Amino acid sequence: MHFQARAGEKVRNPVLQRALQKAKPLFVGKRAKGIAALADDALDFETLRTTCEGIRNRTLADLDVWLDIFEERATASGAEVLWARDGEEVGRLVVDIARRHGVSKAAKSKSMLSEEAHLNEALAAAGIRPVETDLGEYIVQLAGETPSHIIAPAVHKTIEEVEALFAKEHGRPIETRTSADIPDMTREARQVLRQHFLTAEMGITGANFLIAETGTAALVTNEGNGRMVTTLPKVHVVVTGIEKVIPTLEDFATLMRLLPRSATGQSISNYVSLLTGTQREGEHDGPQKTVFILVDNGRANLLGSAYQDMLRCIRCGACMNHCPVYFSLGGHAYGWVYPGPMGSVLTPLYTGIENALDLPHATTGCNQCGSVCPVRIPLPRLMHQLRTDQVERGLRPLSERLAFKAWAWLAGRPALYRWLTRRAARYLSWLAGEDGRIHIFGLAPGWTAGRDLPVAGNRTFHELYKARKRA
Amino acid sequence: MRVALYVTCLVDLMRPSVGFAALRLLEAAGCEVLVPEGQTCCGQPAWSAGERALAAELAKKAIGELEGYDTVVIPSGSCADQIRNIYPQLLADDAAWSARARALAERAYELTAFLADVLQVSAVPAAFDGSVTYHDSCKGLRSLGIKRQPRALLAKVPGLTLKEMSECEECCGFGGAFSVKFGDVSTKIVDRKCESIAAAGADAVVGGDLGCLMNIEGRLRRRGDETTRVLHIAEVLAGGGT
Ligand code: SF4
Repeated sequence: MHFQARAGEKVRNPVLQRALQKAKPLFVGKRAKGIAALADDALDFETLRTTCEGIRNRTLADLDVWLDIFEERATASGAEVLWARDGEEVGRLVVDIARRHGVSKAAKSKSMLSEEAHLNEALAAAGIRPVETDLGEYIVQLAGETPSHIIAPAVHKTIEEVEALFAKEHGRPIETRTSADIPDMTREARQVLRQHFLTAEMGITGANFLIAETGTAALVTNEGNGRMVTTLPKVHVVVTGIEKVIPTLEDFATLMRLLPRSATGQSISNYVSLLTGTQREGEHDGPQKTVFILVDNGRANLLGSAYQDMLRCIRCGACMNHCPVYFSLGGHAYGWVYPGPMGSVLTPLYTGIENALDLPHATTGCNQCGSVCPVRIPLPRLMHQLRTDQVERGLRPLSERLAFKAWAWLAGRPALYRWLTRRAARYLSWLAGEDGRIHIFGLAPGWTAGRDLPVAGNRTFHELYKARKRA
Repeated sequence: MRVALYVTCLVDLMRPSVGFAALRLLEAAGCEVLVPEGQTCCGQPAWSAGERALAAELAKKAIGELEGYDTVVIPSGSCADQIRNIYPQLLADDAAWSARARALAERAYELTAFLADVLQVSAVPAAFDGSVTYHDSCKGLRSLGIKRQPRALLAKVPGLTLKEMSECEECCGFGGAFSVKFGDVSTKIVDRKCESIAAAGADAVVGGDLGCLMNIEGRLRRRGDETTRVLHIAEVLAGGGT
């Protein structure tokens, strides 16, 4: 199904719309508060984002070098570093590690890359049970769905839907729930998940950042499950993209000024974990084996291209939280792992421009995303670049291209243009009739399906202006 | 000051009164206003669609027509953005045109920015009996920084009170071709704008871009609101008549 068809379905789904309408003001309000609170620490948003943009740009300029350093330091601290070209390779590597360590269950937390790689499917096919342990991911997994938001995977679900899922899965009668019951429902999920933490032989996470100077994975979480997943199982596998590396701990501290604030409005997330190496002598917890799987899956292609800026992304979700299109549809309409503006750029770049033709067009160009992005990614400009590439690669429908050509040809011939617009003004005015509004317009049915088309008079400006000058 | 008025293709076809209002405003502020003969469209739709070559063609045409004037004034944030920000970018690698594009960009202004920042007008010819709420169009707001100017000008209209809506900076869902191509999504977005407008409870909603205003008016009427007036800021500032 194409984006347009999916979009139509989402717009008309009242349950989804209710969930989205509830979430939007929360996201926007919390971020606004978090950003305003920067002033309490004598920090300025624009200055800080220039710094963060700079950190990410400097890393990307020498990405290979920072990755080498990361590999060297991580290996020195006892971890293993593996490289994966694509999602399939990720699946093979993880399954292989799992087999070697006799893993039958893997507890998971926080990895959008595992969605890119369809890792859960690969694990399940190999007889290994993946259990998502972030509350939102857990809900989505129970429902047999995929995340619809990068930091709030179940944002598309209402409390009633979650209650129905829990009742079924946890084998209890369904109850009437309000938001006051959320702590109870969370406790219920936690009880189930605790068993999984204790019995899983492998923990799988992503990483918000990889810190080159120490060979460390940084994990920014709120629920505490990340700690369980990375310390209780004997094997910890980190699956993340090669672009996530940053040079130093100092850089991490700087980026942390903006990441939680942009995502949830928090000045710092509830948990910040810096994971280096394996369990050392005398330590009581931590994995015996730590493996980093660093994934390309299309990223290296963007280096040096017109799209390199996109690799700065720190996955905060602010762009989708401020996107009018995202909040009209939810994330599933976007058709792949990443939704919202960042998804409209990443999906065509990672899955093929020709496979996501609608996405770069599904934007009003409002730039609400670009103005909140903590690393100043010019998302509207990148979407525009994708539209230009579509034209240049001959991927637009011929009818559309001819229409533009004809229109531009006409706009280049003022006399003819005037003659035609005069006719058009009369035609529109005739269609509009008494109340000055067109209710059904065959030339733009997409407009009049939901709106009238107001028409003011039957003369063009230039026509009236000429007449007035003559008089 | 000799000012060229670039009325925009949408105003020309859909609402000429906006063009005449801009004309009156500029004349009232002491400008000699000329309407360059051959003007058609700035080419933004082609640019947005990724039709770079066609956009460049139309940009050159517009530059040729407009560069002979001291100043060009445009009653639209998005067309002003096209001329000010996009033309220089679009023609940056064209040796014959890049300097001309930059020179025009520096002298092209959105209407309210020109009145408030350049002319610093102290009065406007209008009177308005009632309340208005102002919708900040995206290109004007986020590409040109237009926020304070329309409000400063509205404050000079005797009898007018401004009732800000919540989320006045939220996109109305127009987006040019987007509004037709993704009509149902666009309608969903403008619905929220209509709710903000209704909650503000003003007599009129005012904005600086006709595209957004047609979108808002079209949806308000379809929702059954027959009374809230939808006006371009030029129409409010210049007062009645065409
Ligand atoms: S593109 Fe920017 S705003 Fe969007 S998720 Fe990435 S960093 Fe955050």
